[in-house]
Amino acid sequence: MSAISYFLELEGIQTTGISLVRENTECLKPPRFLWTSFPLGRPLGKPGDPAFQRRVIMAALGLLERESGPVLEDYPEDLPSVAADEVSVCPVNFSMPAADDSSWQVRLANERLLMQPWYSLSLRRRGRTTVGIAKAPIEELMAQVAQALDVPDIASVDLKSLKYALEDLKAFYQEALTAQPGNHDPQETARIMWHDTVLGRSMLAIHDRLAASESARIQAFARGIAPRDQAQNRSP
Amino acid sequence: MVRLTDLPEHDRNHLIAKNMTPLGPTPFVRMQKPLAHRRVALITTAGLHFRDDAVFDLMDASYRVIPGDLRGDELVMSHSSVNYDRSGFQQDLNVVFPIDRFRELVDEKVIGSLADQHFSFMGALVLPPKYEASARQVAAILRKDHVDTVFLTPV
Repeated sequence: MSAISYFLELEGIQTTGISLVRENTECLKPPRFLWTSFPLGRPLGKPGDPAFQRRVIMAALGLLERESGPVLEDYPEDLPSVAADEVSVCPVNFSMPAADDSSWQVRLANERLLMQPWYSLSLRRRGRTTVGIAKAPIEELMAQVAQALDVPDIASVDLKSLKYALEDLKAFYQEALTAQPGNHDPQETARIMWHDTVLGRSMLAIHDRLAASESARIQAFARGIAPRDQAQNRSP
Repeated sequence: MVRLTDLPEHDRNHLIAKNMTPLGPTPFVRMQKPLAHRRVALITTAGLHFRDDAVFDLMDASYRVIPGDLRGDELVMSHSSVNYDRSGFQQDLNVVFPIDRFRELVDEKVIGSLADQHFSFMGALVLPPKYEASARQVAAILRKDHVDTVFLTPV
């Protein structure tokens, strides 16, 4: 982000925008940024709140009037915390039978059936989906994940294609988990997906197998499968 | 909240490792005309693109073009990092790419106009100098479109 603003401004185009990691921006000294305290991935702060988003934009546009720089200003407004009783509850009960020895394929396929109505609701409510980088139906992507866990050497599968499959499956799940109107806590949505679902367990299993490889390239793929916090904070 | 002091140590260390030295003395363009007469383009490093565009590679300094008349339901995200929240984008495109907010600002004459084309990069794993060629290409396209202001959003 800072690099792009640097080169655009060298070319005579004035830039302003949002910084999410103040320390990184401070070091690179780009011309103008507004630092916000919002979570990574949410530069405008709050989904579905045009007034909130507009206040952030106007503050960043205001920096264009400064006479000298670099400018790195702190946006004064934090995201309002959401009271526990205001957070939308997860629509799906993921409790598993005590001894479920079904294959990954069967468990993933069963879970897809649980998620499908909520994904459909999301699609109807929002009129859009962000599923679509792997360019295959969800059922096929689920099968691809199950197959990756069934082969003796996971490094032998097409890891790039597997990553794209997982990104689409995560989008499918997260859209379903946030389908109901109301506030959704991003950390809780992520926790449910990574630790309460079969998909989450399958992704962590893939991560662990890749991370155990002696190849730096394969280990790098592991880091592109599971976030650091979810890989490190396993539920008992 | 992304105050580094609020993050777990492994995340904090990862982000601090991304602290780089400046590319050079800070270039600084001063305001030439009021906001209401400006033409604005949006540029994001969120790895957004259309479904039929090429997905971003794991290390990729190229860009994708987002035409100004896009509908909000067409964009997907193929950013290589998994260490940020995507559920906000999944609920509302504008939390990452605030195209509806900027259209409103044009309607209300707060800003002059929006560019014919906006741009998307993927900000991960690529060192800052590697963006020079593609960023300068984008600058040339924007100048041709009489864009004088760019609004940048990361993830």
